[in-house]
Amino acid sequence: MNKFVTHIIRFVVFVLVQALILNHLEFGWGILIMVYPLFIFLLPNDLKITFSLIIAFAMGFAIDLLSDTFGIHASALVVFAYLKPLVFARFAKQDNYENLKEANIYTMGTSWFIYTFGILLFFHHLWFFLFEIANFGEIIYIFQKTVLSLIVSFLFSVGLQIIFVPKPKER
Amino acid sequence: MKNLIAFLRRFQIFLLFVGLQFIALATYFSSLSFPRSQYLTTSNKVTGNIMAARNSVTHFLHQEETNRELIKANKILHEKIPENYIRISSNEIIVRDTIRETDTIYEQQYTYIPATVLKSTYDKRNNYMTLNIGRKQGIKKGMGVFSESGVVGTVYQVSDHFSLVKTILSMNPNIDIMLVEDGSFGFLKWETHQARLANLTGISNDKPIKKWGKVMTRGGGGIFPRGLNVGKVYRVSPIEGRALWNVEILLGTNFKKVQKVYVIKNLLKGEQIQLESNIPKDPDNE
Repeated sequence: MNKFVTHIIRFVVFVLVQALILNHLEFGWGILIMVYPLFIFLLPNDLKITFSLIIAFAMGFAIDLLSDTFGIHASALVVFAYLKPLVFARFAKQDNYENLKEANIYTMGTSWFIYTFGILLFFHHLWFFLFEIANFGEIIYIFQKTVLSLIVSFLFSVGLQIIFVPKPKER
Repeated sequence: MKNLIAFLRRFQIFLLFVGLQFIALATYFSSLSFPRSQYLTTSNKVTGNIMAARNSVTHFLHQEETNRELIKANKILHEKIPENYIRISSNEIIVRDTIRETDTIYEQQYTYIPATVLKSTYDKRNNYMTLNIGRKQGIKKGMGVFSESGVVGTVYQVSDHFSLVKTILSMNPNIDIMLVEDGSFGFLKWETHQARLANLTGISNDKPIKKWGKVMTRGGGGIFPRGLNVGKVYRVSPIEGRALWNVEILLGTNFKKVQKVYVIKNLLKGEQIQLESNIPKDPDNE
């Protein structure tokens, strides 16, 4: 029950931070910080994929409503949630990764985290900008936006975890 | 039937994925081609109010600058007043500086409704702006919007208390604009992806174009009055293989800071459209 409330509060905070603050920070060069995929990433691994898809859709749509993007945040986040178990399994160090209650930078270890989260975030960003621009004539612009935003979003997500996720005690 | 159920069970995650994608992308693409539903934007009641709350927190950060701009704008608008009127009598000569609003010789064509920007972007492929006025204040779809320093965009969707503006930083703003210097005209486009620069297309390259020449609206379509500032010529380069210049314009409006805008109401728009509808259609083009 306690965990459940934590995730609901996280959901609201992520949506508001993304829609009211981060979507308004515009640095030029097409950089857009998108940090909300971290919420889906931090969902417990034993949660059914069906649920995490629906949660992803709801979260993306909430952000869309607040930033006039009509469904691309939702679409990209559903891609993220769908690929999450696949990418997790591909880069898993141990087979029983589903026993990992909550995946974050500490419980996973740095290198595993960088691979999985980096790749998932890359697909999310690529999908988002592909549909936001929706014009293959501007493919270079799409890649520019994807790569630059990816770097900033990734560092931002790592920073958030370092600040807010409590470090487990050394054994 | 058994097989079908087994199939559905096996692929239920994938099917759910496809279904959610379909809903999201269908919403997105239908909004691009025909904007029907206002409920999915910041101009609806709930999200509009969230945006208004957000604005009440952030707007004071720009207060001083906004004030300065407004004083400047007032001065410019006062000087411009005669431009907003059309003469309805032809046998009298009137000194333009002395015109008042109640004068019977001139009839007012454009009125302006002031509005506050609640939310705006400039870094996306299509950039929108939410205003704090809507249908109850007389805003209608398709009206022009400008700030003190230049053209901003056109109204895209309206709800009772809010409206959504598609800014000129979008795929095809297609506003009729011209060079002040020689009156040659073209369409406004945004292909630079930079918040301060836009393009003027359709200028033939038989004449050189002066840098920093002024660019303003031409007044076609009855959306913007003639002579509204757009910006200045920033860079001129030839387009390969075509007898046209690629003209880049430094926009007057700074979309990173714009706080106060005006929505343009054209009182004679119906008349202009009715007259223009009499142009016979070219049989070759049909």
